Amino acid sequence: MAIEYGLNEEQEMLKTMARDFLANECPMTHVRELMEDETGFDPELWKKMAEVGWLGLVFPEEYGGSGMNFRDLSILLEEMGRAVLPGPFVSTLLLVGMPVLAYGTEEQKNEILPKIASGEAVCTLAALEEDGDWWADSINIRADYRGGHYVINGTKLFVPDAKVADYMLIAARTKRTENPEEGITLFLLDTKEVYGTMSTLLKTMDETRKQYEVVFLNVPISAENILGEVHQGWPIMKQIALHTTAALCAEMVGAGEKVLEMTVDYLKERIAFGVPIGSFQALQHRASDLVIGLEYSRSLMEWAAETIKENDLDAATAVAMAKSFCGDTCKKVVAEGIQMHGGIGFTWDHDMHLYFKRVWTDDNAFGDSNYQREVVAKTLDEIHQLAGGGRWAKTAGRLTQMG
Amino acid sequence: MADEGPEKLEALRQEVRAWLKENLPEGWGSPGYVAPERGSKEAHDLGKAWQKKLCEAGYTGFGIPTEYGGIERSRAEIAVIREEMLRTGTPPPAASLGPMIVIPTLLRYGNDEQKKRFIPKILSGEESWCECFSEPDAGSDLANIQKTGVRDGDEWVVNGQSVWTSGSKFADWGVVPVKTDPNAPRHRNLSYFVFDCTSPGFEVRPLKQMTGDAEFSETFFDNMRIPHENMVGEEGQGWYVAMATLEAERGGGIQFVAPSRRIEPTTLGGVDIYVELAKNTKRRGMTVWDDPLFRQRIAQFAIENEAMRHSRERMRVKAMKRQLTGNEQSIGSIFSREKNQRQANMVAEIMGANIQFMRGDPRALDDGSWTYTFLRTRGNTIETGTTEILRGIIAERMLGLPRSRG
Repeated sequence: MAIEYGLNEEQEMLKTMARDFLANECPMTHVRELMEDETGFDPELWKKMAEVGWLGLVFPEEYGGSGMNFRDLSILLEEMGRAVLPGPFVSTLLLVGMPVLAYGTEEQKNEILPKIASGEAVCTLAALEEDGDWWADSINIRADYRGGHYVINGTKLFVPDAKVADYMLIAARTKRTENPEEGITLFLLDTKEVYGTMSTLLKTMDETRKQYEVVFLNVPISAENILGEVHQGWPIMKQIALHTTAALCAEMVGAGEKVLEMTVDYLKERIAFGVPIGSFQALQHRASDLVIGLEYSRSLMEWAAETIKENDLDAATAVAMAKSFCGDTCKKVVAEGIQMHGGIGFTWDHDMHLYFKRVWTDDNAFGDSNYQREVVAKTLDEIHQLAGGGRWAKTAGRLTQMG
Repeated sequence: MADEGPEKLEALRQEVRAWLKENLPEGWGSPGYVAPERGSKEAHDLGKAWQKKLCEAGYTGFGIPTEYGGIERSRAEIAVIREEMLRTGTPPPAASLGPMIVIPTLLRYGNDEQKKRFIPKILSGEESWCECFSEPDAGSDLANIQKTGVRDGDEWVVNGQSVWTSGSKFADWGVVPVKTDPNAPRHRNLSYFVFDCTSPGFEVRPLKQMTGDAEFSETFFDNMRIPHENMVGEEGQGWYVAMATLEAERGGGIQFVAPSRRIEPTTLGGVDIYVELAKNTKRRGMTVWDDPLFRQRIAQFAIENEAMRHSRERMRVKAMKRQLTGNEQSIGSIFSREKNQRQANMVAEIMGANIQFMRGDPRALDDGSWTYTFLRTRGNTIETGTTEILRGIIAERMLGLPRSRG
């Protein structure tokens, strides 16, 4: 696999365009307006995003897309992270669009993907339940087969953008066996065609992203609306998690870099004791630590995006490594950003808390930094056993010395 | 320069493997092999001999012009050679300062004669080097160097003292910045020289460090004479030449190796030895690997090693696009040095009471090398510029923050 480090010319253009677009179309004043809105959704902005080709960025042209790759998408997500962009971009494209492209029938793809690309359809995924953790065992809402169709009953929690979603992908249990990863089925629901769902806005910390409780009461759905195979939903969900996790890394790095820039600007401007506070070594060294953390976050994030783009065997490990490191680093960056701003950084009117809340929410989604590190540890264990452990024992120590 | 085809690279790999089998010291890698004592003349000579063999085989000197004894190789070839060396491990290069810091300094500031005279003999291992930089009152504040140099005809007469001189015990040549113009302002008052360590008036006294070894020395210059032709760069330019040396030293970890396609299963992201150690160490009835706290720490180092690998590549690409200033090396330097220290701390905590055994005690694991590393890494965050100095470089030169007020 050829990992492409740095950006090529087209990617540089995409990045510049995205930064300009978001500065013009969704400045912080507008972010705050959308925070006040119950849906956090701006149809005008959504339409403009469709017009510049973002909503179908990674779809092939036959489905109305731009045929670009995952690395290109991650560049866009970095910029969205910098702008703390509200709205259902991640829900629509990553949680539903990409899995439909990968696992959908030709009918499903033809029905949904062009609508996503053109901005007609907003989508979301209803996966998490009461415990809020991304794991197969917690998927308990039932889809029972009754006379030719399925009936869904139960409650989903932390469903992003449910109120504005035209399509909702639902992870439901169609079978319970010893293995919780078996018997999960994904249903693709056209929200306009069914009755029996009720979405209630949750009052959550990051108000730039709206999340809902969704109650399903005897919601009928046909077997034609299954994505993939019946009982075989979990592998698709793992793929969704992989891609979205990599996407969130990009978003966190974008947010982290923006926070560092804002903080460094403040250190240069803010005068205390008659001098800019950025001349104090205590603050200089803390700022330098953030530079170091973000350099390695970016390195892992870009690598993870490249492994997905190339469908590389290392993708799962790369993404776990990236999420763990980016999560730890960016959580530190946003906390330090507030601290170095002092009192002003703790106010509602300052934007620091928007980044703080977004990063902590992103870190938690699909497994936080500690969970991801455990994923890496399990992989190390597997490789160690495969490599027939023990061969380094006699030379251990020699390799630890600094090169 | 086109990369070689896969067959040619595979042939090279086989060649290196066969060469290693032929040339590694007798018994290398076997349980009975005992390496010469660290810092001994024997270890030094082994390192020199190894460098000579590498040079003759064309396995060192990459990217250095052939007229100075270097060799041109594609990135893919270099990666193959380094991978194979990593697989078996090799004797430590006793004379590493020459290739690491002197060659880059000479390539940047040396004149053609100096390059022709010194570089080939560094590559061939014939001449080893020491670095006389720090003084008792010029460590982090390196610009405060007090050694004086007075011109006398075609020579300079040097007086003064260095401490923490690396590689001095058996060195043939040295590099030293000297104050040649006491009236010039800081950063303009130094000149940089290479000098012959057998010169009369040069004295080396070993300096015992907390590991118990004397890896460094104090060196004394008593009316030592250096020919003018051994000045590197212009008179008064010594600070900047010295900075080039330090930049090379701080970037010493930066090796431009093409990343291999997969995470190398043989090195497990560089933490295989820790996984191994944790699995083989039982504490209070369970293996350390079964303790989630240690497992998380080991996994963290695997993550950090991968992060460093990809960061190095990002830097390489930036360097090709001429987007680097040189200050970025501080990032990798701080991170890798502090990581060494954290790794060593973890090992000490894994081993518990047994970390106390030093080389010479029959209970010492791996001949006490873990304990040595644990102690030695205390110096990592001080040598070549404390990590505080490097953080200041990031703050002032990369972030553009105002000069610090302490």
